[in-house]
Amino acid sequence: MEPEKSRSFQDQFAELFDARFERIYRYLNRLSGDPELAADVAQEAFVKLYRRGSLPDSPEAWLISVAMNLFRNAKSAHSRRLRLLTPARGESMLSDPPPGPDEAMEAEDSRRRVRLALDRLPDRERRMLLLRAEGYSYRDIAGALRLNEASVGVLLARARRAFRNIYEESFGAP
Amino acid sequence: MHLDEERVQRLLHGELSLEAGRSAREHVAGCVDCRRRLMEAEREEADVHTLLRALDDPPPRTSPEGVAARAGAVAVGVRAHDSAWLRRAASILLAVGIAGVAYAVPGSPVRGWVRVLVRKVGGRSEPSTMPPYPKDSHAGVSGIALLPGQKFLILLKSAQGGGQALVSLTDGPEVQVRAPAGAATFTSSADQLLIDNRDSLATFEIRIPRDAPWVEIQVGGARVFLKEGPRVTTTGFTSAAGGYVLRLTPSGP
Repeated sequence: MEPEKSRSFQDQFAELFDARFERIYRYLNRLSGDPELAADVAQEAFVKLYRRGSLPDSPEAWLISVAMNLFRNAKSAHSRRLRLLTPARGESMLSDPPPGPDEAMEAEDSRRRVRLALDRLPDRERRMLLLRAEGYSYRDIAGALRLNEASVGVLLARARRAFRNIYEESFGAP
Repeated sequence: MHLDEERVQRLLHGELSLEAGRSAREHVAGCVDCRRRLMEAEREEADVHTLLRALDDPPPRTSPEGVAARAGAVAVGVRAHDSAWLRRAASILLAVGIAGVAYAVPGSPVRGWVRVLVRKVGGRSEPSTMPPYPKDSHAGVSGIALLPGQKFLILLKSAQGGGQALVSLTDGPEVQVRAPAGAATFTSSADQLLIDNRDSLATFEIRIPRDAPWVEIQVGGARVFLKEGPRVTTTGFTSAAGGYVLRLTPSGP
């Protein structure tokens, strides 16, 4: 019976990983601007889930909470975790057709502008906006950021408006 | 009566119940002002998503098998180049095993060597962050893990004839409670965990996230532990390992 049980967890884990890894990675990458750190932390969150040996009641909420704690620790310690998997940014991008010089410069400029605007938001608003952009439910957002779920919508609206206003004031309409 | 801001956002994000969503959509269909607010919210949302995409990098190439292997599991389909690492790990285990046998043989000099070595290096093992979980003759352990909200109550229904609750603060996100299998049943809701421990003498292991804002433990209706932010108040005592030991027996007269 035991092998059957553990196979079933592995299947569930693989499904969850395939469905959710990119979402957590993208959230962390947008938050930090550091794709390697984002990859490390996202993978470490899944390592912790695997070591747990069973899925929690709400795996997505669990994963994002763990990832956020790991991210906070990684940042505060100024330490870098061992890279679980090796893809460097440049390596990953090799599979894509290289952009032309103008296109690359424009993309970098656009990234810089958005980063500046995002960094001017208070931390809670920034995280909230990024979590919602990845489709996290109000319940998950409230759990991850320790908010009252009943007011997540209003807080999201304020964060979104603040972000757009900051961007427009600095760089014009998007 | 117009939709309030929360309802407009929930309508936009599909966060209303079926009935509430239907009612809100009906209202929006007949209300110019609310329709304008909803459209404005949609526009803002689209703008923000477009802007945020500028920050994206391609995700790393990774797989669940890679993560499982990293987690130390013996993953199915371990790649051939991992076999060298496995051979090294096996060699270490074999060496440890041989040393263990040498230590265990009656009259073995290895025991003396180990004692001397332990004295020389100070001889103290690192305390665990948690008091050791009591060994139970029934090998099974049951438990539950939950994400606490703003306030979370752990309620042990009855005082016991014996046993303790060993509480520790952890860096994990979950409240975790473990007990010997069959010692209790767990019922949870969003803000409460009810532990039916009638007739139990068991010791419970309770882990609480360090950053949980408010967690209370009650035994038979009496508060025995409260964590409010970083502050902990308890009727129990602090263990040498840094956790808290709570009595589950009734308070004395």
